Amino acid sequence: MSRIIRHIFLIVGFLFLAATGLISTHARAATFTASLDRDTISLGETAALSLAFEGAQPKNVPSPDVPGLQIVNSGTSQNVSFINGAMSSTVTVTFSVTARQAGEFTIPALTADVNGQQLSTEPLKLTVLKADAPPAAAIDSGNEIAFMKLSLPGKKVYVGQMLTAQLQVCLRDDVQNFGDFQFTGQPADGFTINKMVQGQNRREQIGNRVYTVIPLTFALTAMKTGTLSLGPFTASATLVVPSANDQGGDPFFRQFFNQGERKQIPLATGTLTAQSVPLPAENVPANFNGAVGDYQLTATVGPTNLTVGDPVTVRVRISGRGDLGSVTLPDQTALRDFKIFAPTSKARYSDQLGMEGDKTFEEIITPQNSDVHEWPQFSFSFFNPDDAQYHTLAEPAVPLAVKAAGATPMPNFAANKNSAAENQTPQDILPIKENLGTLAKNSAPLISQPAFVALQTLPIFAFIGAFIWRKRADNLANNPRLRRKIAVEKLVQTGIADLQKFATENNSEEFFALLFRLLQEQIGERLDCPATAITENVVEENSILRGVPDLTRNDLRELFQLCNQARYAPVRGTSELNSVAMQFEKAVRELQEVKA
Amino acid sequence: MKRIFPFLFALFFAGNIFAADVATDFSTANKLYAEGKFADAANAYGKILASGVTSPNLFFNYGNVEFKSGNLGEAIAAFRRAELLAPRDSEIRANLAFVRNQVQGATVRESFWQNWLGNLSLNEWTVFAAIAFWLTFLVLAAKQIRPALATKLKSATWVFAALTIFSGAILGVQAANHFTRQTAVVASAQATARSGPFDDAQTAFTIRDGAELSVLDRRDDWVQVADGSGKTGWLQNKLVEILPGA
Repeated sequence: MSRIIRHIFLIVGFLFLAATGLISTHARAATFTASLDRDTISLGETAALSLAFEGAQPKNVPSPDVPGLQIVNSGTSQNVSFINGAMSSTVTVTFSVTARQAGEFTIPALTADVNGQQLSTEPLKLTVLKADAPPAAAIDSGNEIAFMKLSLPGKKVYVGQMLTAQLQVCLRDDVQNFGDFQFTGQPADGFTINKMVQGQNRREQIGNRVYTVIPLTFALTAMKTGTLSLGPFTASATLVVPSANDQGGDPFFRQFFNQGERKQIPLATGTLTAQSVPLPAENVPANFNGAVGDYQLTATVGPTNLTVGDPVTVRVRISGRGDLGSVTLPDQTALRDFKIFAPTSKARYSDQLGMEGDKTFEEIITPQNSDVHEWPQFSFSFFNPDDAQYHTLAEPAVPLAVKAAGATPMPNFAANKNSAAENQTPQDILPIKENLGTLAKNSAPLISQPAFVALQTLPIFAFIGAFIWRKRADNLANNPRLRRKIAVEKLVQTGIADLQKFATENNSEEFFALLFRLLQEQIGERLDCPATAITENVVEENSILRGVPDLTRNDLRELFQLCNQARYAPVRGTSELNSVAMQFEKAVRELQEVKA
Repeated sequence: MKRIFPFLFALFFAGNIFAADVATDFSTANKLYAEGKFADAANAYGKILASGVTSPNLFFNYGNVEFKSGNLGEAIAAFRRAELLAPRDSEIRANLAFVRNQVQGATVRESFWQNWLGNLSLNEWTVFAAIAFWLTFLVLAAKQIRPALATKLKSATWVFAALTIFSGAILGVQAANHFTRQTAVVASAQATARSGPFDDAQTAFTIRDGAELSVLDRRDDWVQVADGSGKTGWLQNKLVEILPGA
């Protein structure tokens, strides 16, 4: 119980203090102040401007605007504190101030609406010192912790020439870390600065200290004649250097435990100049259109067999070293008989600086008449600064076979036999056709019609049929028993008809002669022995025929006996002969079922 | 069997009467064209086409009359339809090339191979492939029936088989083109392609009458197209004529 009472007292006490604090906060007057973290910076460095609102929230935060200074809001923070029971709240808006030029700047008084009051700050002064390249003596003495050097390959350039320059950022060996490198100025008068590429770091002895050298190579293009200048390049960077307050103790342990000190430093180079000279006025090729560098040329043209009005694709590839971006196709006045569509181009670079690579132009041209026989010779000229001479590259003419578009009937404008008129570009479309021509119903393409597709299976079936037939024929040719079986079946089939005929004619002599022969042939085939070797005895003795039903064997025996008797008493009646024929037919059918 | 003859007889004469009607309408349309009544002539040709009849000459004349009326897109569509039916007709090709030359702006053109394959229509390629196919299998069947001919027919078999493969491959390409690669011809003085299939979608690019575009997709009343420079956008169906690819 006592603990609960104690908690209640604590809460009430806190609320009381808070209430009095709030009251005291409201009671105190709000303030608005502006301050800079330093009043002097070098060109490229950044200063921090803080606008502090104490005791109240501002309705609006003024945004300072000073010509020559770049002031950017970098964040807002709030701080609440209790001092002697009085709570104070401070809102701080921070701006980063970067100078675009050296000089004296004044940040004017800023006014803000705080709790309905218009509060103003005092004006602030900021001095921006010009960043200069350090003197050679300072570098040699090793006093410079970091510096930049700029170099150009030569003092003479041709207008339009592309060249490389190098900027070296040198860091003394005791620099523990390096970051936030930012260019604050890259002035170039008459040069266009292109891509910049960082090279491999190296260590170099400069003066009496070792420096880490970070090379930055960039491509430049000379844009005008006269004296061109490059620099001074200015930049700012943050370095971590050994702390000046922690120099005691063992140097071995110091290198591990010295946290270092962060320093933002300005860097600057000197100014370099180069003399840009115009391209020689002598021996300028007629089709030279300003390309400076060292190039190769290839071209392809296709198709070469076409009709008037058909498109021909011309691909021109210019490769080499130079400002490929500014390379354009030369005027193609020789393509008078072609309609030329605007070309498209695509540049591909093989190096990181964008100085080497190729540019491909793709152009569509259409021959306007059938007198066109070739795509004329194509040439491209450039000035090579290395040998200070103009060069012209040429691709030979490509023969074209161009047929006339409308052969028959010729349009009225082309019907004239005058060849000059024939070669004119058509002025109008060909006239309408008088005949309706072949009429068709608007139907689906043949390939999508099921009947047509089904029809295409016929040759496949024909082939399959022929194949099966062939296989059967081969099988028969290689199987004499099968062949004999088929032949005997046919013989018996026709023999039965002949027997019936002889029976009808009452020709018992022929009847029994045929019957005997048929019996021999059929039994011979079944027993796979010559027909002439078959007699009545075979029916009794042969093991195969012993497997035949007794009734059938009796029939066969009886038929043989009838044949033998007929030699001596050949005369029989038609009905009797028919009955014998039927008996033979029955016996033969049963015999054919016997497995041979 | 007796009943089928009157039916065939009636069918034959009905066909003839129908053809005669179409020929009369065609002549009437030609007359209107000759008199310079292009709008009336276009209506007359359009009426014949609406009846389901096609003929290269009909499309050719329709293309002419549309061109004379200033409708480049409709003219190109008609000439291309005529070309599909009669791909080697020099007059159709000449007029198509002439009208295409009047078109401004980026447009999609057939490649060299498409042009070459286009020398035969899809049906002609189909018949060519079918003949090669039939000949191949008939020669194979003949070799089965008469093995003695096998040596003599050896070369023919290879030739026909090669022709079958060649024409079959081309037929495959052409059929794929016909059924999957459509072309849209802009049939409006100026059309605005939008970034999506909606009226209030952002403008992607504008195209002039007669521009030929590749059809990429279709959705409701919209068609997605790509122009010759690779730009894509959506156009309303009513602004274009859709043609098969081959």
